[in-house]
Amino acid sequence: MSTKAEVWQGTLALMVLKTLHAMGTQHGFGIARRIEQTSDNLLSINHGTLYPILLKLEQEGAIKSEWGVSENNRRARFYSITRSGLKQLAAEVDQWERATEIVARFVALKDSKA
Amino acid sequence: MIRGLRRNWNRLLGSIFHRNRDTDLAEELHSHIQMLAEEEIRRGIQPQEAYRRAKLQFGSVESVKESYRDQRGLPVIDALAQDLRYALRGIRRNPAYALVATLSLALGIGANTAIFSLVNSVLLQPLAYKNPHRLFAVREISPLFAALGPVAVNPVHAREWAAQCQSIEQVTLVRGGPAQVAGGTEPVAVPGARVPHNFFSLFGVEPFLGRAFLPEEEQEGNDRVAIISETLWRSRFQADPSLVGKPIIIDGEKHQLAGIVANSFRPPFARTAEVFRPLALSRAESARRTGNHNYAAVVRLKPGFTSEQALAEINVVQAGFGQGMKATLIPLHEIVAGRARQGLWMLAASVGAVLLIVCVNLANLLLSRITSRGREAAIRAALGASRGRQFCQILTESMLIAISGGALGILFANWAIKLLLATATLDIPRLAEVRIDSGVLLFAICLTLLTGILFGALPAWRFTRNQPQSALRAGSHTVTEGRRGLRLREGLIGLEVGLSAALLIVAGLLASSLTRLLQVDKGFDASHVLTLNVGLAGNSYAEPAARERFFDRLLTKVSAIPGVQESGFTTALPAQGDTWNDPIYLEGDGRRREERYPVNNRYASPGFFRAMNIPMRYGRAFEESDRGRSVAVLSDKAAKLLWPGETNPVGRRFIGEDDQPKTLVGIVAEVRAVLDRQPPPTAYYPYWQRPPNAVSMVVRTTAGPFTAAGALRAALRSEDPQLPVQAMQTMEELVDRSVVERRFQLTLMGAFSASALLVASLGIYGIVAYSVARRRNEIGIRMALGARRSQLHWLVIRQGMKPVVIGLVAGIAVALFLGQAIRGLLFEVHPADPVTIAGTAGLLLIVGALACFIPARQTAGGDAIAALRFD
Repeated sequence: MSTKAEVWQGTLALMVLKTLHAMGTQHGFGIARRIEQTSDNLLSINHGTLYPILLKLEQEGAIKSEWGVSENNRRARFYSITRSGLKQLAAEVDQWERATEIVARFVALKDSKA
Repeated sequence: MIRGLRRNWNRLLGSIFHRNRDTDLAEELHSHIQMLAEEEIRRGIQPQEAYRRAKLQFGSVESVKESYRDQRGLPVIDALAQDLRYALRGIRRNPAYALVATLSLALGIGANTAIFSLVNSVLLQPLAYKNPHRLFAVREISPLFAALGPVAVNPVHAREWAAQCQSIEQVTLVRGGPAQVAGGTEPVAVPGARVPHNFFSLFGVEPFLGRAFLPEEEQEGNDRVAIISETLWRSRFQADPSLVGKPIIIDGEKHQLAGIVANSFRPPFARTAEVFRPLALSRAESARRTGNHNYAAVVRLKPGFTSEQALAEINVVQAGFGQGMKATLIPLHEIVAGRARQGLWMLAASVGAVLLIVCVNLANLLLSRITSRGREAAIRAALGASRGRQFCQILTESMLIAISGGALGILFANWAIKLLLATATLDIPRLAEVRIDSGVLLFAICLTLLTGILFGALPAWRFTRNQPQSALRAGSHTVTEGRRGLRLREGLIGLEVGLSAALLIVAGLLASSLTRLLQVDKGFDASHVLTLNVGLAGNSYAEPAARERFFDRLLTKVSAIPGVQESGFTTALPAQGDTWNDPIYLEGDGRRREERYPVNNRYASPGFFRAMNIPMRYGRAFEESDRGRSVAVLSDKAAKLLWPGETNPVGRRFIGEDDQPKTLVGIVAEVRAVLDRQPPPTAYYPYWQRPPNAVSMVVRTTAGPFTAAGALRAALRSEDPQLPVQAMQTMEELVDRSVVERRFQLTLMGAFSASALLVASLGIYGIVAYSVARRRNEIGIRMALGARRSQLHWLVIRQGMKPVVIGLVAGIAVALFLGQAIRGLLFEVHPADPVTIAGTAGLLLIVGALACFIPARQTAGGDAIAALRFD
């Protein structure tokens, strides 16, 4: 078994948005690598799973894309966050923080039997 | 929320514009894997190994593509788009079917839409009056006129209803009659009406210029005011608004122009009236409590009262006017639609039946196409296509055809309605209101969708019922339809034949009605007769003697016109209505007026009988030498009423409608007053006994009737240039106009039943040809075993004719029922006329046998080897 963590349901979109927000325009490969690096390679993702999420975000208008040329002279699609994506990101970060806070309270709960 | 909307919108767009995205995605994924591999290579890994690792890290490309595709569009739209593509492909593969189907549906839906727009405006739309549901026409039921049914209204009775009935808000009366209007270059005679002051307010209509009548204008002497129609105002008075309040000349008298009413106001009983004048009852009329049923009456009920309550109250009042006096209330809507109602419903039902036949036929065609696609269905089912998806796919194809047919049909209906409106001779009430409005459009759209479902659902259901295993197993080359499938299609053929038979029988009944009506003994000879209405009005003709002199001189001039064989006039032309019903009686008859014999009364010139070729039975017509003597001529029936036992009562005396004694000088043959009714008893008097105000000239010519028109016109002009010369018509035209509605119904019914027959015979042909093709092997074997060709023909025809015969029997049963329903439209034809039914059955059997025989010949014509080889 790998020691690497699985991606929690629904958090990949947040990671993509945050990555694009932090790094600016980026292609799919770059986003995947960056997510792995940010997690200190603790997180393992199948790069392919990124694409349906990119499509969903683009359909929602959170990101936009256009074709360009990569640093290695390869044609690639470059994604960037949009204004409404920024709003969505803020909302999701907020929601995430609240969720982790609630979970943290449960974790911190004293054992009543003691 | 908004995000979800935007996403769905983009997915919708994705469903529509997706072609490039597939290659786009492939390229994007490819370059991602390349980058992963290059990274590995930079770390010093062998390229082959690097690619393997890159692919591993990336995951399954195909599964990415698949989930990408699922997300990109909306699944419903994608499925629909796929079905549409299949449907279009199917249509492209078989354009003849699609063309025939679309065109037949276009005709079917178009005809239905056109007839519906008629039904809608004539029967369904509320009348354009205020609260029309509270308006009722009243007719009186009088023992005196028991034979005539309900009759028009006595004005004294109407006044009492208004005074005594709690449930009645208002009562108004109408009496039509011509009006001569001066103005413009020459005077014109137009239809007019006499109405009480409340006439306009009862219908909730006000003149758009000027005012309605005042109560005091109903007094004799105050009634020289008029309200005219917008049409007349525009055509004769240049639409001059300053004329209101000023005098205009009507019937030679000055009338103050009180107001102008809009053209949209078409009151019942005065639908064509252009001039309205106040109804001023004479002292004598106001005192007549019996007879004088000469007015149409309309009542408006108070809100909250039912027509039953009103009728009960009216009948109480009626009882005071004599034993057995009653009344009847008829919703105004029925009066306006009148006789058109039954005919229109019949046409609507028939055209619906035609569309049903078209649908059934298309379903049958689709069924046979689908059966040959049974393997396809089986394979799809085996590969996991759900029944729902398969059902939708077939339905999409039928819907596509239905919608194109419907769109074409609406265009066709629009054109048909324009053609109908251009046929000005057709006298259907509210015809001018007929148009394709939103209601009609909605009807057409619903009909279209219904049609698509109707002819698509059954085949689609059959398609999904295919058992994949048995379909895949059955035969290596073809899939044949089971017994059940064939029975279903035979049932459909039976339905088509049954409906066609019913339509043909109804059309046949109408056709023989019209033929009999045209051949009926009218009692006169309409050929070569020209008619012209002449009306005398104004001060110069106030004296009866002046009118008598005018007609004397006119007759002399007309008889001198070259080419005129005979000429005369009468107060009412034959076949133009059962009018002026008043009793005649024998001297010393002690019975009350209402118990005596009512007859049609006519004042005529001596030449009238010769001009119309009305045969004399006994005695002679009245002559110039009868001036100064009190004489009369009776029709056969009228003479029989007075002297039941005598064959030749000429020379006897009786009392005429003017209560003066008359000597009977002759008896003439019966003449029809209404073409499709038995002739009424009629009394004729010489015109000089009571010189009329208005007559109809009849002129029999040697050449074509219109050869005398110019000279006739000139004769009238030279007599009095102030008289309007009205349009001349031949007697044949007048007779024809009274059958125009029947002709219209018959033309449409003929077209409907002919198309039904055509479609049904195509259906029979289709199924027989199909089953022959299916049994080719069997037929080949039979031939090889020595079956004769005639035996094979018989085999095929017998099978093909089975549903025809069953359908025919059912159709005749339906037609017997329908015949009762349309009884009122028939003339001297029994609803179960055996000749019509036998003729229809024969026609259908012959057409059906032909439709079977053609494919039967084709198969049996080939040789046995070819038939056996055929798969």
